[in-house]
Amino acid sequence: MSMKEPPRISPAMTSAPAMIKTKKLTKSNIVIRTTMTVLALLTIYGFFTFNNQNLKFWPSLMATFANFKTVFIQPHFNHFTFSQAVEGVTVTLALGLLTTIVGAVVAFFLSLLAAENLTNKTTSNIVKTIVAIIRAVPTVLWVLIFAIAAGLGSVAAVIGMSFHSISYLTKAYSESFEEIDEGAIEALKATGAGWWQIVFQSIVPNALTSLISWTFMRFEVNFGVAVAMGAAAGAGGIGYEMFMAGAFYFDIREMGTITYFILAIAIVLEILSTQIKARIRI
Amino acid sequence: MTTLLEMKHVSKKYGNGTVALSDVNFSVNEGEFVSVIGPSGAGKSTLLRCINKMIQATDGEVIFDSVNISGFKGRSLRKLRTKIGMIFQNYNLVERLSVIENVLHGRLGYKSMLSGSLGLFTNDEKQQAYHLLEMLGLKEQIYQRCDQLSGGQKQRVGIARALIQNPKLMLCDEPIASLDPSSAKTIMDHLKNISDSLKITVLINLHQVDIAMNYADRIIGVSKGQIVFNGAPSQLTSGDIKTIYGSDASNLMINIENHDRVKVAEK
Repeated sequence: MSMKEPPRISPAMTSAPAMIKTKKLTKSNIVIRTTMTVLALLTIYGFFTFNNQNLKFWPSLMATFANFKTVFIQPHFNHFTFSQAVEGVTVTLALGLLTTIVGAVVAFFLSLLAAENLTNKTTSNIVKTIVAIIRAVPTVLWVLIFAIAAGLGSVAAVIGMSFHSISYLTKAYSESFEEIDEGAIEALKATGAGWWQIVFQSIVPNALTSLISWTFMRFEVNFGVAVAMGAAAGAGGIGYEMFMAGAFYFDIREMGTITYFILAIAIVLEILSTQIKARIRI
Repeated sequence: MTTLLEMKHVSKKYGNGTVALSDVNFSVNEGEFVSVIGPSGAGKSTLLRCINKMIQATDGEVIFDSVNISGFKGRSLRKLRTKIGMIFQNYNLVERLSVIENVLHGRLGYKSMLSGSLGLFTNDEKQQAYHLLEMLGLKEQIYQRCDQLSGGQKQRVGIARALIQNPKLMLCDEPIASLDPSSAKTIMDHLKNISDSLKITVLINLHQVDIAMNYADRIIGVSKGQIVFNGAPSQLTSGDIKTIYGSDASNLMINIENHDRVKVAEK
């Protein structure tokens, strides 16, 4: 007995058109494609119209690599010692930690007001709008704004960085709160629990993992900003040493040392954050 | 028999114009086991939530325990809610907390803002939680996180959370809709047992007409926001089923003849 051929749907049997597109040409599709095309054209145009000031591409590239080699292969201590570098890193870390803690505490209470399922739509929208405006201005700018009142230095850096952390974390926290299943709130409401009781007994336990991971993420960001603030706003720490080594002494070997220090801390933070995320059960 | 709950001309109209309930009138006696049946979207959940004011009725009066509760707000509303336990289709537990912590949430309405927020419960309350969990067969699981429990176990935690409130009335919003038949039976038996032995009034929304007929003392049929049937299970006819669901009983695979009444007291 021979195997019977399974019946096939031949094109003649269906009413399908000969050419079938898998994507429909919607409005958003057209917008995306147009944007990509324009960006591609601009990029090509940009490459052709560089003002290269008679720099030769290959020799310059080689010189840059040579500098990199000096920075990373021959780091040394010149204007400060190892222990001073460690102290600088600690100051920078402390700056990042302090602003994260201030940001987290204030943001927690603000985010309760910003979460739509915990307040009303009006309050939520007001808080969210204010916070969005604060967030739209970069951290560095906030520090410089506060420097007008406090003078360039650590005070302006702490206030400015906390300010931006608050707005960033408020958005992150309130979004985690809004993701919580409405039922978890409803059930406690039905037992006669009050608002604060619901917050601490249902909202916080439900959102704890995302609160922790957002906070840690902001800490990593704040460490990076703290380095930059040391250089740009004279907030001290390793960033200030970097600024001095770079802009005052032109000592690229010392820059290498500092870069290694910052890299080490960044790696430690990265490992810590992965560990924390693995430990707290999602 | 005393009347525990009375709904007088209760209506609910949502902001978008949907009428969820229109002129609902019924009363429930103390200790009664009443089942509300009706198609999805008929207003069963709204009806239940108008009682503990999770949803504010637009019109009418709700009288609970001889008090008109329609205007209750703030502290008095919280106090009222402690007297009304509620369980849900999706259990609505805090999944990341342990079983006993979830049960103790039922006491929050009795606690001050601070001790409730911090989760400081008295030993008496913990003892009570333990006894309830023992009664519901969850003694081994008291320190387990709720996300590790099965559906039936979660619903039992929900029941314990409602019972620790010392409620006069239990509102059950489709408590067995997400459960397998065997767990569903366990839950229904527990609810029947609660109603019989603890004399707690039970008002339960159900999709399964046969289960409603087996367990309930009285059935309330809801269709399009109106009560179209209110009587003993034995009085429910195929004609009533048609009024409630808008389709013949035989089409709905419902057999309203010869159902077995469950009598927990006999066991």
